[in-house]
Amino acid sequence: MTYAFQHLQREATQRWQDLHAQTWVRIGTGLMGDAAGARETVAAMRYDVRHAGLSATVSEVGTWGLCYAEPLVDIVTPGGPRVLYANVGSDRVSELVATHVTTGQPKVEWALASVESDVPGLPRVENLPMMRYQVRIALRNAGHIDPVELLQYVARGGYEGLDKALSDMTGQDVLQEVKDAGLRGRGGAAFSTGTKWGFLAGNPAPQKYMLCNCEEGDPGAFNDKTVLESDPFSLIEGCTIAGYATGASNGVVFVRHGHDAPIQRVRSAIRAAYAAGLLGANILGTDFSFDMEVSLVGESYVAGEETALMEAIEGKRSMPRFRPPFPAAVGVWGKPSNINNIKTLAYVPEIIRQGAEWFTGIGTEKSAGTAIACLSGHITYAGLVEVPFGVTMRQIVEEMGGGTPDGKAIKLVQTGGPLGGMLPSDALDIVLDFDEMAKAGAMFGSGGLIVADETTSVVDLTRNLIAFDQMESCGKCFPCRLGMGHLLEVMERICTGEGRPGDLELMEHVGKDMRAGSLCGHGQLGFNPVASALKAFGDEFRAQMKGHGPIRITPFVGPRSSRRGAQLEEETPTSQVKGDFVAHIQPVARP
Amino acid sequence: MTDEINITIDGQKVRTTSDKVLVQAASDAGIYIPYLCYHPGMKPYGACRMCVVEVEGVPGTPASCTLPIRDGMVVHTNANPATEVRGTILDLLLSEHPHGCLTCHRVDLCGPQDICLRHVDVTDRCVTCPKNERCELKDTTRFHTQGLNSPLNYQYRELQVETKDPFYDRDYNLCIVCARCVRACDELRGDVALTLTERAGQVLVGTSMGESLLEAGCEFCGACIDVCPVGALVESDFKWETPVRVEKSVCQECPVGCEMTYEVDKRGRVIRAIPELNAPANRGQACFKGKFGFKQVNNDTQRTKTPLVRREQVLEDASWDDAIAIVAERFASYKGAQFGMLVSPRATNEEMYLAQKFARTVMNSNNIDSPSNTRPGVLDGLHQVLGYPAATGSVWDLKEAACVLVVSANVTEEQNVLALPIKQAVRAGTQQLIVIDSREVELTRFATLWLRPYPGTDLALLGGMLKVIWDEGLLDEAALGQYLGDTTALAASLVSFTLDTVSAETGVHRDQIVDAARRFATAGPASIVYALDNVSTEAQTVASRAIAYLAVATGNLGKPGAGVYPLRPGANDQGAWDMGMEPRYLPGYHPVDDLDARRRFEEAWGSELPVLPGLNAKAMLEAARAGALKALFVVGDHAAYHDGTLGDLSDALESLDFLVVSDVFLSPLSEHADVVLPASTWLEKRGTYTSLERRVQPLKQVFQAGSTTASPDYHTIARIASHMGAAGFDNHAPEAVLAEAAGLIPAYAGISYQRLLDEAVSTPRPSTDNPMPTQVMYSEQVSMGLQWPCPASDAPGMPTLYGERLANAANTVRPPLEWMGLERDEDAEFPFLLAHGRVLAQPTHSLEVAKGGRLNRIEREECFLISPGDAQRHGLEEGQAARMVDKAGRKAWLGTVRLWENAHIGVANLTTLFGELAVQVDGSEHPDPMNHVPRLEVVPVRIEHV
Repeated sequence: MTYAFQHLQREATQRWQDLHAQTWVRIGTGLMGDAAGARETVAAMRYDVRHAGLSATVSEVGTWGLCYAEPLVDIVTPGGPRVLYANVGSDRVSELVATHVTTGQPKVEWALASVESDVPGLPRVENLPMMRYQVRIALRNAGHIDPVELLQYVARGGYEGLDKALSDMTGQDVLQEVKDAGLRGRGGAAFSTGTKWGFLAGNPAPQKYMLCNCEEGDPGAFNDKTVLESDPFSLIEGCTIAGYATGASNGVVFVRHGHDAPIQRVRSAIRAAYAAGLLGANILGTDFSFDMEVSLVGESYVAGEETALMEAIEGKRSMPRFRPPFPAAVGVWGKPSNINNIKTLAYVPEIIRQGAEWFTGIGTEKSAGTAIACLSGHITYAGLVEVPFGVTMRQIVEEMGGGTPDGKAIKLVQTGGPLGGMLPSDALDIVLDFDEMAKAGAMFGSGGLIVADETTSVVDLTRNLIAFDQMESCGKCFPCRLGMGHLLEVMERICTGEGRPGDLELMEHVGKDMRAGSLCGHGQLGFNPVASALKAFGDEFRAQMKGHGPIRITPFVGPRSSRRGAQLEEETPTSQVKGDFVAHIQPVARP
Repeated sequence: MTDEINITIDGQKVRTTSDKVLVQAASDAGIYIPYLCYHPGMKPYGACRMCVVEVEGVPGTPASCTLPIRDGMVVHTNANPATEVRGTILDLLLSEHPHGCLTCHRVDLCGPQDICLRHVDVTDRCVTCPKNERCELKDTTRFHTQGLNSPLNYQYRELQVETKDPFYDRDYNLCIVCARCVRACDELRGDVALTLTERAGQVLVGTSMGESLLEAGCEFCGACIDVCPVGALVESDFKWETPVRVEKSVCQECPVGCEMTYEVDKRGRVIRAIPELNAPANRGQACFKGKFGFKQVNNDTQRTKTPLVRREQVLEDASWDDAIAIVAERFASYKGAQFGMLVSPRATNEEMYLAQKFARTVMNSNNIDSPSNTRPGVLDGLHQVLGYPAATGSVWDLKEAACVLVVSANVTEEQNVLALPIKQAVRAGTQQLIVIDSREVELTRFATLWLRPYPGTDLALLGGMLKVIWDEGLLDEAALGQYLGDTTALAASLVSFTLDTVSAETGVHRDQIVDAARRFATAGPASIVYALDNVSTEAQTVASRAIAYLAVATGNLGKPGAGVYPLRPGANDQGAWDMGMEPRYLPGYHPVDDLDARRRFEEAWGSELPVLPGLNAKAMLEAARAGALKALFVVGDHAAYHDGTLGDLSDALESLDFLVVSDVFLSPLSEHADVVLPASTWLEKRGTYTSLERRVQPLKQVFQAGSTTASPDYHTIARIASHMGAAGFDNHAPEAVLAEAAGLIPAYAGISYQRLLDEAVSTPRPSTDNPMPTQVMYSEQVSMGLQWPCPASDAPGMPTLYGERLANAANTVRPPLEWMGLERDEDAEFPFLLAHGRVLAQPTHSLEVAKGGRLNRIEREECFLISPGDAQRHGLEEGQAARMVDKAGRKAWLGTVRLWENAHIGVANLTTLFGELAVQVDGSEHPDPMNHVPRLEVVPVRIEHV
């Protein structure tokens, strides 16, 4: 262990004790907390605590993933139990301050669960339906610590991995450890991370880039953003370790413009890491140096594609480059680069700290560790869950997510983002596993699970997905630029009951050549939604084609491929416009 | 990196090199793979996916334009699913591209002009497309014989055709978004005027920031038109004409020596100029002058059709025989110093050689010059220090330079293509650019460092830089010893160029001078490009000497990327000097007062030569005014007399006894003439030009104007000479004249017209039946020219001079530098010097392009930038409305006074837009509009209240 880290850890322990020496109120103010009004809750809490003359720390933290319960307030008094309160609007703050914060007695009737201790009349948090199967690695600190306070991160085991790597291991050892752990990329392609790093490590160039991708434009996916806003140090530490393993000199965190909380938090975390000597020259007093910065891009789904991302970092229009040359040879600014998903890197510190064997012990044989799934759509408990691979989809959706809110039957689960597929309800027993899912034609992708109940029209849902994919095509390669438009046009006419004989074959024909001919994954996978819908719900399509008449169109905002499409949407009231793609944040009924 | 490898394409063994992409390797081996977005002049892009193939052992269908090749690779270009993917892509393309005729079953029965009565919208027909039968998409669709009954719905984009910009018509209904134009603008030209707009199915090509081309920074080089595969981008003139014949020749607009393919239609008109892709000097590029400035050749109405002879004050038609007889008879009485001859810088080497031979042997006068030769000092310094008055390297070597110093040169407008290697390298980050200019030229936008000296003080600045290099020990001692030997005199002469004096003289901060010197001396191979536009005639020789010494002192000679490039305006100015069409030199740079040389030439020409050095162009006109020069023979090209550098001509011409003008058009010049002889344009004759990189290139006869009896000037001169009884003008065919010249000029000894044609480089191409970009189709048999010195018929040309020693190594006396302070004569009436500039994008100025008919007019508020002190002195205030009037009275501007602390005392700045020029040329009724490009001159002006 380095001397610098010993010192840092001592400081962190002290800080952790200090925090627990007085009342500590933690309020989740991530994207979801914000959406539910957590900012006002924080302001009210600070005001009331100050005016009550109490000495309590009020921290803004990340999210537990229990979106349905946001704003979530977490109160612990010295020596008292730690209790989570759900749906605490600013109007409830005074009461909580008057009770739990002042007296140390939990206000049980408002509480959701207790943490790390038993409170009569309250479930333990891990016994909540949504927490049931969870094993938290990437989200290990989410909700527990102030994301931008380095000492809190260190107090919970942070930077032990980097310290271990720098003091006891060579870069090659680290690389081997990651390989042995069987870590696979969480961005969608599920490629072996160790192997990928190996490509970069093998390039002797002096300047190499480790890029961290938080474009995350998938509707219904919000796990990268959550990691960034709940625990940015885990990414920074992971990226630094990756830099050490591959010999990279620079790290760039790439975030979509508009993800405000993640951007602010990762920026201040990077500043804090620099201040503590954990980034920059001679990290922890060793010979290893590594720099990190944040790069933003305008809204573009394709910017998440690794080569388009590099174009965007260089300030160009984000359109994919052809490969080869692969990024490990010629990447951003022409320098060798490696692109990793945020979540992937967040696993790395724990893998180094606890060893590859520990990690392979979790999950399935081919898919080690855990997966973060984002539940949205027609579901009771919307939010974020981190489960080990091997859990079934039904367990996630029905047990953890609590099924549909109004008891309707689940019709399907849309997985893997808008280029992913659909799992019909009878296929939900599928085990969560990269390869199993891919085999079933429903890739796990970035982890978005959108649940649709029996009232959903698959045809309309498919059209909506295609509309998204069409709008988000960058327009560079011909098959994708033109093919997506025609797929959408056909889907639109099927929806309006004007489907023609041969339309399904036409889509398959275009889709097949898009898959074969497109430049990047967007066009290659662009036909996926239709393909998987046809596979599982072919009958519904055929029925719709046979004079079923027009169905309700869920509108979609974006440039139109066809005049007909624009007309269709003009006819639809704009109040419906947000569509089915906004994470379904529905407060539970107040007790 | 480039290994020789073997691959197999469609069963055919192909030997190729590993640096090629597959589509190129196949094409070179004669195997065609269809493509639409790929263009051999640009980096692969991988968008159209038409070139997909199958490679054994590689999953899927990779695109062959982005696929690196490996030894032993086995490729199938025509197997499924690759062909199927191509078919689908064509279906998809035609679903948004008008294709009524293309998919019509009767198309083979249709003639190109047939009016079709079927139910296809006019906008959907190929026959209403300007690129009909020249369209790569049409050719590719035909080539791909798969059935064309696409089930996809067709949607016409219904966009307005953009016809309001000069030169271009843009019809984005036809665009297939291959982005070739965008990439050409960005990658090849460095201008980024075009960009992709929107995304997904709506993606299209637009201008940067959605403004007009003028505002977006377009230089109207036409590179985007040249690469467009469909009719989306076309030249607005002769838009609908199809060529029946093409011929290559060399552009006559500037000395870069761009090789162009000229298309000729069935009416015998030259309709388009397409820069040659594989030409050594331009590499597929041209500029607005070369691309669009040739239409005067077709101007039948204004061309001189027959010789004209002045009888009783009126020019009357005459026969050639009569005219020649009159000229010969009158010339016979003006032999000696009372005769002068001015020959256009656009004349061929052969004409120049004949002209000076005529003047010297027949007329016994050394008064022979080119009207563009008004600043010989630009080369004299190089001549004195290095030996040859010519650029030391090649144009595209500039791309290899780690640093380029541009001194008072408006390169992008006057020698446009020369700026490309600089712009490309700067944008690639491999080059630092230092610009020394009082004016704002386009390259200042690309400059790492822009030094803005007081107009006319460039020499002091160059000397200052040299002194810094000397004082700081940044010299390349080895090179100095190798090239110069003793340098004590030079070192001593630098004493006057101290930083303090230079800084005071030029107004440039000393730190900037030091910075520039250090960058230039230490960056790596460095080149100097200079025209010395702002430097007074007296100081030019010393300034060019300073430039030569800068190059030698830093070891920047004799290797690619290191050298000096003097810039002159005329296409064949280099040839003019080489051929001895200069009052001071016989062919091959022998001074006329060199007795030995004169003997040799007298022997060769069988005639006595005049002893006294002649008068240059300016001096000839002075002599005419004074009555000493009585007869003048002006050959070609009135345009050269229009830029004002020769002053007001009319009184000089009026004082002459006898004026003969041989020109293409009747002009203000011929109004004074006693005899006018109709001349052929450069596209109607054979011969050679020598470009600024010393490259001798062949001109070919592209067409013959039908309505005129015009004759090439070499023929005219020879006829007059023969009629005057002179021998040695009988065999005046260009081939023979060049052979005669080559026998007398050692540097040309190995060059012959036939050799220039024979040594054309032929690029292997798949069958001509295959659809290909126009530039590729035209790029077979490209003349590479020969760069002199080329001493023997088996010797290659010499791209880089002075590999080991200087050409005048034996000459140990080289003049050092001398301090020439600028005399600032206070002109009370015109107290300011106007240093205007040409930059397009000016965020602080809002501008509006008013479009009316074929004219674009830019409306915006002009700002006169002056220093606060000057403003006080002349009673001007910030924000005041004012008028600026130039001394020559040629132009006046209205604008607002703005105070700027960085302005030099006595200098006013004003930014002219590049577009202003495009407006003028497009609006001009003149038969030769391109020559009226206004120069960026430093002129005295006055600013007055309005």
